[in-house]
Amino acid sequence: MTSPTVAEAWVAAPLRRLMEDARLISGVLLYPTGRAVGQFGFSNAADVMSICALTSAINASARELGRQLDGKPFYELYHAGAERQVFMARATAGGQEFLFVGVFDRESSLGVVEIYFAEFQKALEKLLPEKQATVPGPSGDFEGELNRSLDALFGPIGKR
Amino acid sequence: MKSVSQVVASLSHVPGVVAAMVVGAVDGLIVETSAVLGATDGAGDPRKHTAALAAYLYAKVTRASNAARLGKPAFMRLEAEKGHICVVGARDVVLVTIVTPDANLGRVRLDMMTAAKGDQ
Repeated sequence: MTSPTVAEAWVAAPLRRLMEDARLISGVLLYPTGRAVGQFGFSNAADVMSICALTSAINASARELGRQLDGKPFYELYHAGAERQVFMARATAGGQEFLFVGVFDRESSLGVVEIYFAEFQKALEKLLPEKQATVPGPSGDFEGELNRSLDALFGPIGKR
Repeated sequence: MKSVSQVVASLSHVPGVVAAMVVGAVDGLIVETSAVLGATDGAGDPRKHTAALAAYLYAKVTRASNAARLGKPAFMRLEAEKGHICVVGARDVVLVTIVTPDANLGRVRLDMMTAAKGDQ
């Protein structure tokens, strides 16, 4: 297992614990705007960039779909593939919203991932720095935000 | 063959059983559960965590049993300070009970294995 790399240091410990306890293969924590906060299991910035963009879009679509079908947004998604399974959920801490997407296989289970994700969310709530409470609304510069967060995770382009 | 609701209802009435659950063997999610005997509002609900981790543990025990060439585990009992967790596999689900320390474990075991065989 690889250690998480993070753009914001305070998420490192809870992210590592989630990775280890839930036996996740890979995962990304991001803001709903698509800006990555931390990741593990990826060595390539382009993969994280795609996952952030897709997760952000899926989250927006799922919320709207939930509103249309059920009158309230869908906040958790699960897909069982033949070998690997994907769990996607939102976490809130101090009014700030995060998205998490994690991949696991038969070494774990949805039930196990759900219970450790609930603990992860509690840890985020406890550790959230004061200044984070007002951060970050969408700036409109989606690509710029995404690139800055990837630079923080993998180093600037050219040095990766 | 009993329905899952009947299995849970019948296991939950065995003396010493605090909670009985039918849990997905692969996903560890609760299919059917009884109430927790003697639960108070202040205490957290132990069922979701117990279900997910017991199913996970049973999967690992199955691997250990196969590695030792013993075949499929028939019955798993975890003895703890304040009671026991009993697990029996039944095809796609596992039966999980949380049991008090002074329970009649022979009766719990027999009823769980009978329920798992589905022949009662």
